[in-house]
Amino acid sequence: MTTFLLFESASGYGLFELTAADELGGVDAVQQSVNDIQRFGKSIKLAAFKPFTSAANALEQINAVSESQVTDDLKNFLTTNLPAAKKGKAKYKLGVAEAKLGSAIQEETGVPCECNEYVGELLRGVRQHIATFIKGLEDRDMARAQLGLAHSYSRAKVKFNVNKADNMII
Amino acid sequence: MKGGAKVVVEGHRHAGIFIARGKEDALVTRNMAPGESVYGEKRVSVEQEGGEKIEYRVWNPFRSKLAAAVLAGVDNIHIKPGARVLYLGAASGTSVSHVSDVVGPEGCVYAVEFSHRSGRDLVNMAKKRPNVIPIIEDARHPQKYRMLVPMVDVVFADARIVGLNAQYFLKNGGFFVISIKASCIDSTAPPEAVFAREVKKLQEQQLKPKEQVTLEPYERDHAVVVGVYRPQKKKEQ
Repeated sequence: MTTFLLFESASGYGLFELTAADELGGVDAVQQSVNDIQRFGKSIKLAAFKPFTSAANALEQINAVSESQVTDDLKNFLTTNLPAAKKGKAKYKLGVAEAKLGSAIQEETGVPCECNEYVGELLRGVRQHIATFIKGLEDRDMARAQLGLAHSYSRAKVKFNVNKADNMII
Repeated sequence: MKGGAKVVVEGHRHAGIFIARGKEDALVTRNMAPGESVYGEKRVSVEQEGGEKIEYRVWNPFRSKLAAAVLAGVDNIHIKPGARVLYLGAASGTSVSHVSDVVGPEGCVYAVEFSHRSGRDLVNMAKKRPNVIPIIEDARHPQKYRMLVPMVDVVFADARIVGLNAQYFLKNGGFFVISIKASCIDSTAPPEAVFAREVKKLQEQQLKPKEQVTLEPYERDHAVVVGVYRPQKKKEQ
């Protein structure tokens, strides 16, 4: 059974394949190997990356992802890059960061999704080493994408809700 | 700040923080956005040898728990030039603006605040500081902003949300700085007991406390706890 990982970033969607799960071991072992890119990079490889086409496109994606909704872009990305899934017979599963998005993907595409502590640990490693996995994407570029996207995401939040009650944590 | 040319600025023990010595001493940070005050704080500019001027902003320990912790003598705050910091409960961004000064142009601050009212000020402040990434979202649901935050060196929080966020974003061996207000958690128990209980809860989440300071006289029944996340065993050689 192959495992894929979906990693949503500010610059685009990434799909990773877990090539040597046995070498990584369980949750605790992954926690350790994440520090060592030599070891971690051997067990995980980039399968596909789809950069967002514009700032507006990125905003549309993050708004959907944070509400656990599957956009057409995400659906296309997954169906193009994952092996065809026959209902109930898929030979792989997709690790996702959040369970609700997982079930939405499963419903839309038939791809069996999984969200657990192990996937969470793997995604920590991907987050840490994202610049090593994707050629031409420096940490600095990612930071810039995050800055731009955070501003548009946050600006929309404060603007959109002017007439609503303030969100307070009590 | 009064004193004009007489003010001398020295580096603090903590990198990125300074002390202005004039008529009265004050904690200051080097202004990332010279010419601007964020919340009406005083600014002081000091001429360098080459005639170049550097501007600093006074950091008020009564308004910032981090400044209070520094003056209370905390050993290490881990927030230093070049660091990537996740700051939870950023409010209007007064403290965040000083963290932005401390980490400087090579570092960045991911500032999370849920209240739209203070969030608006935070977003406006961030417009003038490219190393502040404003995130208007609920810090109890880090998955909502997972597209905006990388792995960070330090998490600062004033609430009990550090564990969940650390799981997503704090690198192995990264640091956390949290402030605990005893009366907010349990107003009937003595503060010391509340602090001890909270520290125990941290340990259960692989957050290993290293030191604790109380913020007297700046805050009452308030403690700042600094520690390390998933400490890495030193390699045996």
